[in-house]
Amino acid sequence: MDLLGFARGPALKVAIAIFCLGVAWRIVGFGLLRIRRDLNKPRAPIAKYLVGGLVAVGSRSWPHREFIGRTGAGEALGYSYHLGLFAVVLLFGPHIAFLGSLFGITWPGLPSSLITVISVLTLTLFVAVLFRRVTNPVMRMLSNFDDYFSWLVTMLVLVTGLAATAHFGAAYQTLLALHILSVDLLLVWFPFGKLMHAFYIFPSRALNGAILARKGATS
Amino acid sequence: MSRLTEIPVRIETALPTGGLGGGVAAILSELANLLQRLADVQECATIDVRSLPMSPHDRIALQHALGEGEVRATLDAQGLSSIRETRVPGIWWVEHRDRDGELMAESIEVTRMPQILMSDTDEIAAGARALRAQITASPAARTRPQMP
Amino acid sequence: MTARASSEITVGEMLRRHGISRRGFIKYCSAAASAMALPPSMGVAMAEQLRNAPRPSVVYLSFQECTGCLESLTRSFAPTIENLIFNIISLDYDDTLMAAAGDAAESARNKAMQDNFGKYVLLVDGSVPTGAGGGYCTAGGRSAVDTLREAAKGAAAIVCVGTCSAFGGIPFADPNPTGAWPVTAIVGDKPIINVSGCPPIPEVITGTLLQFVTTGKVPDLDEHLRPKVFFGNTIHDRCYRRPFFDEGKFAKSFDDEGARNGWCLYELGCKGPTTYNACATLKWNGGTSFPIESGHGCLGCSEPGFWDKGSFYAAQSAAAWGKAGEAAPLQVLKLTAAAAAAGAVLGTASAGVGRLRQHRGEQDAVDRESKGD
Repeated sequence: MDLLGFARGPALKVAIAIFCLGVAWRIVGFGLLRIRRDLNKPRAPIAKYLVGGLVAVGSRSWPHREFIGRTGAGEALGYSYHLGLFAVVLLFGPHIAFLGSLFGITWPGLPSSLITVISVLTLTLFVAVLFRRVTNPVMRMLSNFDDYFSWLVTMLVLVTGLAATAHFGAAYQTLLALHILSVDLLLVWFPFGKLMHAFYIFPSRALNGAILARKGATS
Repeated sequence: MSRLTEIPVRIETALPTGGLGGGVAAILSELANLLQRLADVQECATIDVRSLPMSPHDRIALQHALGEGEVRATLDAQGLSSIRETRVPGIWWVEHRDRDGELMAESIEVTRMPQILMSDTDEIAAGARALRAQITASPAARTRPQMP
Repeated sequence: MTARASSEITVGEMLRRHGISRRGFIKYCSAAASAMALPPSMGVAMAEQLRNAPRPSVVYLSFQECTGCLESLTRSFAPTIENLIFNIISLDYDDTLMAAAGDAAESARNKAMQDNFGKYVLLVDGSVPTGAGGGYCTAGGRSAVDTLREAAKGAAAIVCVGTCSAFGGIPFADPNPTGAWPVTAIVGDKPIINVSGCPPIPEVITGTLLQFVTTGKVPDLDEHLRPKVFFGNTIHDRCYRRPFFDEGKFAKSFDDEGARNGWCLYELGCKGPTTYNACATLKWNGGTSFPIESGHGCLGCSEPGFWDKGSFYAAQSAAAWGKAGEAAPLQVLKLTAAAAAAGAVLGTASAGVGRLRQHRGEQDAVDRESKGD
């Protein structure tokens, strides 16, 4: 079996299995933990604090006015490269064909040349993000192996994808195999690091919002 | 699945517009250099036209740029070939076609005369022998004294 | 390293006998040089060199094959182009083309191999089955394996014509019931050139042969032993529909509007991006067309194992899990459900440990408080 066959075949299967296993493990693992019982009297009916939870997901998606000066740039950077990543992963023809073959549904995509432009922009933003993390003293102090490795693993997917599309650096089969292997690596690492924020972020915000709403506060 | 007869046939006749443009100038530039070498050191050269990444427009532009010269030769061997000198002395445009008229090879030769036009020395010697044999065999020869 | 011809006449003499003049031969060699991307002056040099050379002896052995490769070679639109090669070479054995049969044919072959030992070019098409002691392919009472091994001993070089002899091809595909192998698995000590394709383009076969008999040297080969001059680029690299691929304009099904507009066939399973061959430049039938131009995606027929690389009609980026008979989405569902279930079990266990810690932590806090009272 050649490298490409391995990457698309057994390696991908194992990676998807580990991804599902890991994600289920972590979600169930933290979902079943006990929330410390709040012995205060609830200040709002149940319905209201469920709504409060949902509202918090939206309101915490952008910094409060007072903090925009300090955190706005970082937020904008983050949003931009996330949107870029989603666009490249979900709106590129060959990716749609791949996901379609896995899940049985397809959707229209964007012109491939536009996707290339978006990829290059996203790559630039990614480098900017690392630069920020390394130069900003607070970020540098807070950052650990998880942050840098998660960055690297995502960056590899971007870089190998661009190299494969441009047929740059090696034979196309090899580039494609490396790209798929990097996706396999991302899938395997995903449940065990900070990339899990993809699954935690909205439940986490919703929970905070619900707790605060129960106390009668808004967030 | 529609029936074969229901599939509309669309014939594309429009040539792609644009093209390299600058490619023709580059080729002419190289030809000028090669021609100078021919003049200076008698070094011949050939450019394979089919290997050049040219659009049909560029090819026509190149042919117009080089123009037509005084000499036009037709070679009839396994199909017709055209060997003609362009307006520029020393630059010859050679087109080889097979028996079906399909273009087999196309080149631009920078030379005093393309080698394919010249008669081969072996064939000349064989031809001389054949001609002598023909003269000997012909009725007119029998009444005339034999040439040494 | 030209072979001593069994008839001892030169190539030039052979051409003259067939009414092909020196100029006609120069034309042919110029076309061949152009097709092989050699300098055009090589065409004349090739013609001059070959004319005075004795005709090289060629033995063509056919094993587990469909004869498509030989058909490709002999059924050309311009008969003089490909059949000219048969005037240049002395084809001393080809069981499909020769008039002789049976013992006469076999003894002709043995004599040719003896007379030209160490100098003849061995052309092979078809894979070589090794199952049942080689019994799945026998001719004249001898197995293909034995015939190949014997013929290889005296060959100057072996040219594998077609994917079957080069990589095993269709007989080699899963489950390979006859134990078929490519020539490279049977013969290891001779220069081998793989001219793969199912079938290969006629000009590729003759161009490779011509280059070898003219120069006596094996051309530059890629990692699969294919001549780089013909197999150096992928179909995708030279495909005229590439602008549509770059623009993301894909045909979704055969005969839809996109297909009729000549859009890229990637989603219809075209294997162009990973297939190395000259179809997009040399094309087929004397440059008429090639599969993509005719509306069907590339099958990847010049690549090893092309028959086992997933459906011809599934896009190249589709997951290749290859369990026939079950749709990929169903397989994915089963896999993810099983993995998620396993993960949930682990998660429950983790949560159990976590809750235990939480409980113990609270218990400690209560104990500390009560002690502090």
